[in-house]
Amino acid sequence: MGYVDVAGVRFTLPDGRVLLDDVSFRVGEGACAALVGENGAGKTTLLRIISGDLSPDGGSVARTGGLGVMRQFIGSVRDDITVERFLVDLAPPAVRDAWDAVEAAELAMMEADDEPTQMAYASALAHWGDVGGYDVEVTWDTVTVAALGVPYDGCKYRGLDTLSGGEQKRLALECLLRGPDQVLLLDEPDNYLDVPGKRWLEERLIETRKTVLFVSHDRELLARVADRVVTVEGGGVWVHGGDWAGYPAARTARHERMAELRKRWDEEHERLVDLVRTLQQQAKNSPDMAARYHAMQTRLAKFEAAGPPPDRPPEQQVAMRLRGGRTGIRVVVAGQLELTGLMKPFDLDVDYGDRVAVLGANGAGKSHFLRLLAGQDVPHTGSWRLGARVVPGFFAQTHAHPDWLDRTLVDLLWHGEPGRPGVDRGRAMATLRRYGLAAQGDQLFRSLSGGQQARFQVLLLELSGATLLLLDEPTDNLDVLSAESLEQALAAYDGTVVAVTHDRWFARTFDRFLVFGADGRVYEAPEPVFDEARVQRTR
Amino acid sequence: MPTALARSPHQDASIDLAVSRLVAEFGHRLDQQTVVGVVRSCRQDLSGSPADALPELVERLARYRLTQD
Repeated sequence: MGYVDVAGVRFTLPDGRVLLDDVSFRVGEGACAALVGENGAGKTTLLRIISGDLSPDGGSVARTGGLGVMRQFIGSVRDDITVERFLVDLAPPAVRDAWDAVEAAELAMMEADDEPTQMAYASALAHWGDVGGYDVEVTWDTVTVAALGVPYDGCKYRGLDTLSGGEQKRLALECLLRGPDQVLLLDEPDNYLDVPGKRWLEERLIETRKTVLFVSHDRELLARVADRVVTVEGGGVWVHGGDWAGYPAARTARHERMAELRKRWDEEHERLVDLVRTLQQQAKNSPDMAARYHAMQTRLAKFEAAGPPPDRPPEQQVAMRLRGGRTGIRVVVAGQLELTGLMKPFDLDVDYGDRVAVLGANGAGKSHFLRLLAGQDVPHTGSWRLGARVVPGFFAQTHAHPDWLDRTLVDLLWHGEPGRPGVDRGRAMATLRRYGLAAQGDQLFRSLSGGQQARFQVLLLELSGATLLLLDEPTDNLDVLSAESLEQALAAYDGTVVAVTHDRWFARTFDRFLVFGADGRVYEAPEPVFDEARVQRTR
Repeated sequence: MPTALARSPHQDASIDLAVSRLVAEFGHRLDQQTVVGVVRSCRQDLSGSPADALPELVERLARYRLTQD
């Protein structure tokens, strides 16, 4: 069993801004704590401080039980490391060092086979045994069989870039959950996992007796797994001791309490200042009052020196205003539509105001279907048309805009696009401010975080005046608060929404569910369906 | 000294195999007793190494020492 105890941690960014100040919390034995906060609030920095990658400017971190860390980039590893190296890097430091020593000794033996080199190799092997390396190798075998279906010896030299994002995540998670470390730090463990993979992760996190601190934006995962919620906001951290269901109310109550305390402090401060002023006047006439005046001055100085209580953190400034507009009743009509080679023909009518979630297996053609409706060139047979006054607005997964990467946000807004008039800098900045992107106005699109890129795309939809929103995984990179803001904007939107999503929480806000089956069949379901198997095609 | 060699029969069998291979390799210039002596001293020097790796380590070290003789 292990725990993490963070006490008074302070961290300053290279530009001098204080990112975290006086951060203290404890994740006790066997707890499964979620770490939440806006994009850029400092969640990953805090995890890196706990793991020892970064040194705080003040305060301390205590932990016991061995620490296993899964970093955010796992799932997108594209360099040439092997499965073997990947597993070694996830092992405890002692095992990692012993492994490196064995490798170095083996290399030395290739150069020189003399007695000292051989003895060094024997000693490195003995050390490998002493740190439990042989047991670790048995674990690795179990892990690769569970995650990839092949024994360790069969895949250890395989490049990690040949594994899908989901396989990389699964491999790391199996390794950490079965490994000896008792404290696990998991940075977005659910990214790249499909819904069955997420369900597997939830089960494993619920049943593990290890202490877990994880970052996630998936509200379903948070609701099922987290037994406490650590929130990073306003440069500090606070802990909600219950589960996710009670979190929003606890957060609101906390903010109200902070605002109340601050208001009382301000009132008391004003009262003392008034009193000092009054006594100052009276002291001019009476030496008796002079003594009281000085006493009151001292009291005010002490009161001010103690400082005000922290104010409530500013609410995330995201106000999405998707207006839409009235269209004909029939918004999309498809007859025996078939995307060539992707799915079987199907009929579909979407009416004004419908909220249609497009669900189903990866590779079934969901994104292609959305692109077709957006007017892009997608091979198909059968017929489809949009209704009267329907203007489609398309939100693509972020990597679908290579031409945006080297342009600034203001530039993108200034130039406009067909169907979206350009706007001047003043209006562009005002709109960016509503989306919490004012500070990023002159940054390149590529330098934004995934969540910021997603918010910017919603902003473009707003400006385009679309009456049919086609959204491809819109919540994928959004933090919880931005996702909720998007949901509110969609609820108030006067128009029709068709969205591809794997986000179970988001899907519940829809009223129609169009499922692209693994067998190529497209059907409508009364409830969200997430367990369609992956599409198998001959390659 | 012999007590240091009193390990599992499995290990000693592996070392026996090393002895027979090395005798075949160096028999033309060294007598069997010398080879056995070198293998035993190697075995002793390498005590503490993992059991599974021991036969290979012993044979390799003994071959090196016999080549240097």
